[in-house]
Amino acid sequence: MKESSLMLMQYVTAIAAIVLVTIHLLMQGVIVPYSTAIDFQQVLSVYKSWVDGAMLEVLLLVVVAHGFNGLRIILLELRQSASWTRNVNWASLIVTAAVMAYGTRTVILAVTGAVT
Amino acid sequence: MKMKEVRLRIQRFDPSQDARPAFREYSVPATDSMTVLEALLYAKSYIDHSIAVRFSCRMSSCGSCGMKIDGRPRLACETQLSSLGGPEVRVQPMDNFPIIRDLVVDMESFFEHHREMMPHLEREDREEQEHPTREYPMTPEELDAIQQFTYCIKCGLCTSSCPTVSTDAEFPGPQALAQTYRYLEDPRDEGGARRLALVDTQHGVWRCHFAGSCSQVCPKGVDPTLGIQLLKRHVMAAKGPGRGEEKKRRGAAQG
Repeated sequence: MKESSLMLMQYVTAIAAIVLVTIHLLMQGVIVPYSTAIDFQQVLSVYKSWVDGAMLEVLLLVVVAHGFNGLRIILLELRQSASWTRNVNWASLIVTAAVMAYGTRTVILAVTGAVT
Repeated sequence: MKMKEVRLRIQRFDPSQDARPAFREYSVPATDSMTVLEALLYAKSYIDHSIAVRFSCRMSSCGSCGMKIDGRPRLACETQLSSLGGPEVRVQPMDNFPIIRDLVVDMESFFEHHREMMPHLEREDREEQEHPTREYPMTPEELDAIQQFTYCIKCGLCTSSCPTVSTDAEFPGPQALAQTYRYLEDPRDEGGARRLALVDTQHGVWRCHFAGSCSQVCPKGVDPTLGIQLLKRHVMAAKGPGRGEEKKRRGAAQG
């Protein structure tokens, strides 16, 4: 993949993260009072809504992709060699996929009611 | 003319003999209009012949005397002692370059990056390029888009100030990237696709974090930061919905 494609993804996920985190924070203290929002059953009820669950899943994907690509860029600037570049790229890809998979599993369990 | 004493604190270092750089102080009689280069040459001529300093034109045209003066990359020939405002002036070699001796740095990698970016016009018809049969005029607007970048004297001050260059040796640096933009934007050039491919890499144009220090220190008023941002726009435009048009304009047919 060309670096410009990854940077395009970086910019798009940055904008999406700002929008989604804003909505998330509004739901955690402005629209829904903070004391209610952090109640365990309230949190579960949020996940049980498919709309909210989908939004949280997108937020997860966006933040993880943006964060690990940013970390990849920092690591590439720290050292320069073909093997370092290759290892950092693969490690970033694997860790990103693993965190996305684990987070998605949690969201799916919550949305389908497997967690009560 | 009014004379006063200026204390020049010069960083001395000979990698073949010294373990680490050290400052040595020289008292130089200075006039109001005296430049740092003139003060250095006075110290070299009358106090210590072993001071190594690179210079040539003494009129900010050749770009040879780039160095760090009072912590900021500047040309010694255009920096007047009076503009520094103190009786003590600290002179060091440019950052981000290996030191050959004292104030002289090795600029080989700098010029290598410059060469890699094809700093010349590329035409599909080589015969026509070598032996043109007609003029290739530019409009004033087209010239205006690239003119400031043609003022670059390759002094290396921008590269010396760049935070990305300090950690990423494969990053071409502001000078090379600004020159890439200069030739990419030139309407006579047809090597656009190759130029975009050269900078769209993991250590290419995207590693610029827009610190802007290169534009702050350029002695010729060039704005490499602007050139790099516009270069990023061209790379993105070549990917977008209008990419066919952009690629055609940038000579993708040959690439």
